[in-house]
Amino acid sequence: MSSNPQNILQVQNLSKAFLGVKALDNIQFDLQKGEVHALMGENGAGKSTFMKILMGLLKPDSGEIIFEGEVLKSNNVHENLQKGISMIHQEILVVPELTVAQNIFLGRETNYRSWLNDKAINQKAQEILDLIGVKINARTKIKNLSIAEMQMVEIAKAISNNAKVIIMDEPTSALTDNEVAMLFKIIKDLKAKGVAIIYISHKMDEIYEITDRITVLRDGQYIATKNTNELDKNALIALMVGRQINDLFLENNSIKGESILSVQNLNKKGKFKDINFEVHAGEVLGIAGLMGAGRTEIARAIFGLDKYDTGEIIIKGNKVEIKSPEDAIKNGIGYVSEDRKALGFIPALSIKENISLSSLGNFVKTWFVNVSNEHEAATRLATDLKIKSTSINQKVMTLSGGNQQKVVIGKVLLTSPSLVILDEPTRGIDIGAKFEIYKLINQLTDKGIAVILISSELPEILGMSDRIMVLSKGKQTALLLKQEATQETIMQYAVH
Amino acid sequence: MYLINRLRKYGIFVVFIIISLILSFISPQFLTVSNWTIIITQASINALLAFGVTFVIITGGIDLSLGSMVAVTGVTAAMLAHPDTFPVALPIFAGLLTGLLMGIFNGFIITKSKIAPFIVTLGTMTIGRGLALILSKGRPVSNLSDSFNFIGGGDVFGIPFPIIVLIIVFIICSLILKKTLLGRYIYAIGGNEQASRASGINVNQVKMAVYSISGLLAGLAGVLLTSRITTGQPNAGAGFELDAIAAAVIGGTSTSGGTGTMTGTLVGVLLIGVINNGLDLLNVTSYYQQVVMGIIIIGAVVLDSWNQKSNS
Amino acid sequence: MKHLYSTLIITVFFFASCSQSKKAENSGDKKIKVGVTFLSMQNEFIVNISDEMSKKAEELGVELISVDAEHQPLKQIEQVESFIAQKVDAIIMNPCEVEASSPAVTKALAAKIPIINVNSATTTQPTAFVGSNDAESARIAMKFIADKLGGKGNVVMIHGFMGQAAQIQREQGAKEILKQYPDLKLIAHQTGEWDRAKSMDLMQNWIQSYGTKINAVFAQNDEMGLGALKALQDAGLKDKVIVVSIDAITDALQAVKKGSLDATVFQNAKQQGAGAIETAVKIVKGQPYEKELMIPFQLVTKENIGQFIK
Repeated sequence: MSSNPQNILQVQNLSKAFLGVKALDNIQFDLQKGEVHALMGENGAGKSTFMKILMGLLKPDSGEIIFEGEVLKSNNVHENLQKGISMIHQEILVVPELTVAQNIFLGRETNYRSWLNDKAINQKAQEILDLIGVKINARTKIKNLSIAEMQMVEIAKAISNNAKVIIMDEPTSALTDNEVAMLFKIIKDLKAKGVAIIYISHKMDEIYEITDRITVLRDGQYIATKNTNELDKNALIALMVGRQINDLFLENNSIKGESILSVQNLNKKGKFKDINFEVHAGEVLGIAGLMGAGRTEIARAIFGLDKYDTGEIIIKGNKVEIKSPEDAIKNGIGYVSEDRKALGFIPALSIKENISLSSLGNFVKTWFVNVSNEHEAATRLATDLKIKSTSINQKVMTLSGGNQQKVVIGKVLLTSPSLVILDEPTRGIDIGAKFEIYKLINQLTDKGIAVILISSELPEILGMSDRIMVLSKGKQTALLLKQEATQETIMQYAVH
Repeated sequence: MYLINRLRKYGIFVVFIIISLILSFISPQFLTVSNWTIIITQASINALLAFGVTFVIITGGIDLSLGSMVAVTGVTAAMLAHPDTFPVALPIFAGLLTGLLMGIFNGFIITKSKIAPFIVTLGTMTIGRGLALILSKGRPVSNLSDSFNFIGGGDVFGIPFPIIVLIIVFIICSLILKKTLLGRYIYAIGGNEQASRASGINVNQVKMAVYSISGLLAGLAGVLLTSRITTGQPNAGAGFELDAIAAAVIGGTSTSGGTGTMTGTLVGVLLIGVINNGLDLLNVTSYYQQVVMGIIIIGAVVLDSWNQKSNS
Repeated sequence: MKHLYSTLIITVFFFASCSQSKKAENSGDKKIKVGVTFLSMQNEFIVNISDEMSKKAEELGVELISVDAEHQPLKQIEQVESFIAQKVDAIIMNPCEVEASSPAVTKALAAKIPIINVNSATTTQPTAFVGSNDAESARIAMKFIADKLGGKGNVVMIHGFMGQAAQIQREQGAKEILKQYPDLKLIAHQTGEWDRAKSMDLMQNWIQSYGTKINAVFAQNDEMGLGALKALQDAGLKDKVIVVSIDAITDALQAVKKGSLDATVFQNAKQQGAGAIETAVKIVKGQPYEKELMIPFQLVTKENIGQFIK
């Protein structure tokens, strides 16, 4: 590949694998001075691994990064920062108790003097803020700023680093429309000054408004780079999702029965709005949407982990009040969280103790837990779910991700639920365990259990669900039958 | 190798045996029935507090108000225990009830306000000390009935009553922790509070329970101490919470929650008791006693953490 | 030294005249205001002093502001500063520590407010001192033991909190007497931290290691003496061992009356409390006063117990 002198950054044949799984496979990428370049792809396409390598957080297995005509060898964040590669993170990384100026020069205070010199950094910081046209006093404490203002501070910080490349990862996710407009104005100014920007976002309209070129990644592979004005939305979506649905998914022939859960006009301010759906016995309802669309939030509300503002939850025809997971479990709802570590299991307890945790009350005789009954029940589930371990008394923290997930599912199943909510049940587990979980979903529906499947993997949603609800920015944009759903239609509704 | 692994698993117990052996070589009086009766009797008050705080620490909490609760409950009991006033059951009951109420208060504030247990119980620690002084007007409450004094000073078939109390409470606490729903939930909450809630455990209820138990046992300790020294002292129990926490930690209860056993705590309590007794027997100067005690506590915990690391 | 002393006397006279002139200004019915800071209101003896002060203050028509320093010298200094700010006529301090409470004296003197130390001393000389000599109390107690044992036998001593003024002086007094009786041997000494339960444990352990070898126990306060006494009674050894302690608190007097505690040393809280108030009033009114009002100790035994129990 020839090196274009306009290119500030050129990436060739970049590959990276984690534990044998290729996260990035032969990536090509180039970035020109004064360009805004969108990086697109589904969740898990490899965008964040790629950005981490650019930042110096990860070391590539093979391939080259050429920055300003020189091969970038370092895998050290500080060094890359000094060379001029900065990143505005999705979660803002600032120290709330320090002032704006102190944050901007955090870690670089001694550039000015051997002693801390607040006066110098205040002055310098104010110059940069004025330069990008932000009306923030450098002496203000960060905690007194809005999210958008914090983001501006992050940008100022990047500029103070003489950044030549700024990576923006979902920068508008927490901003209001006005603030987005302000951000775009700053981006245009930066562009005019020759700064190159890598822009990551799921929001199509933003991509079309601000970017010059688009590079699409899928499953860790480089798909294409196109000029933004030559690529329409549908073509872009096709590039992003365009893969064959393989036969990982089994035919679901269960008989759909009575309504198990009906959700009516469920609202939670800032999270989701006017959600209406119904799940029947033996049915799988898929919930699709981009990250932050409100999928998990709805599940958490139904399960009693969070409160909702208004709306009704009806279980088997009866209106119920669910104030805690305890109430939800009593009403026959089981929840397998997307965040296994935080909400799924107790690492220091055994497989047996984790599986029985939600239904331990059933094993109590007079005062004490009947250990042999507990053992028997847990053993049955561990065998059914094919949990690989030396013994049922093994601590869950020593198990692999897939087996930990099975323990969590075992715990939910032991409560004999009539509805199981699976939130990203296959995230971070290997293909074999994935297949077993798909089989399990079918076993559940065969028994007449209703299943809600939340997933970012469209093939999984399409392969497993009878119906699919699509969410976008907390709103329900579609409720599709299996026959009418394709990856493209889902994506269109998801970016609605 | 098997032997070494066993030794590692019971690290503190081994330390306890070694220290006991050393002491029995140096001091001929150490390994006698009468001396051990004294060691265990002296350790009984710390044991009650340590058992209570073990529950609390396993949930990931802490109770700093133990010493003050001992003072309040002791003074309360003493005020009702003068001869020829009330039957002996009343002061005992009042002491236990006072402890229980203070424990419930701790639990209530901790679960409702979501303030860290360290801060809440630090507050109750001061409140308790003040209450004890108010109740007693700053003076020891003495002249207690003989039947009341029996609890701390009497014996049954030659076994001092405090030892009998210790054994009964130990058995009950072990059963609660090992065999009951509450016990399992205590471990679960300490291991991962969020996941416990998501598993349908009423986390607040369990926390209320552990602080209540801790308070109740502090009440029992207060009654026992008052009876043993035959007076209700408003300044009694200062620093007791630290001894109790030390015993639990020496016994392998992790301050980050989720692990610990009553047997471990009992060994921790006895280890502290043996060291106190041994240093007195050997007439080690007061200044050095404190240093030796500190070294042994740190050493025991370091050894234990080393064991745990090599176990996992 | 001499020079320092004379300076002090001059200073005192200066203050005396100052307050006199002040008095002249405010002549009439203005009440004398006195601020008092105590070492700790958790100590029965101190509470007794406080009670006597209140009584005397009422009698003399003095307005009393009492505060508790809770064993913290820093807090005590702050309290004295606040008295100075409130412009009290005199300050009475029951010092937490010999050294650490000294700045409070300096500050009061600098603000030209007379300050009286009660019960224990500070390095910096106050306007006046009312109290007793701690070493003397231990001498009295140990002398009693020596007499009872005929100058021969084994003694154990229970210290208060190590390093506190009272502990240091009581240890010093006891050792002076021990030196005079070479056959009186101190076989063990440990701290009981002024605490009854701790001293009971300590005594139990000593009984284990020394058994009947112990002829007498000297505890540096009554709480600890009573703890040791309980241990000896439980072991059935009381009639073989003499127990003596200091302070004459109510429980100790009761024990002496019963004959279980052999003796305690009466530190006169009443005279110390009343004496401090009287001295304060004298200074404020510009009357002559004693710079060091020493209240004598009294040995309390079964023979004279009637004087002490109402």
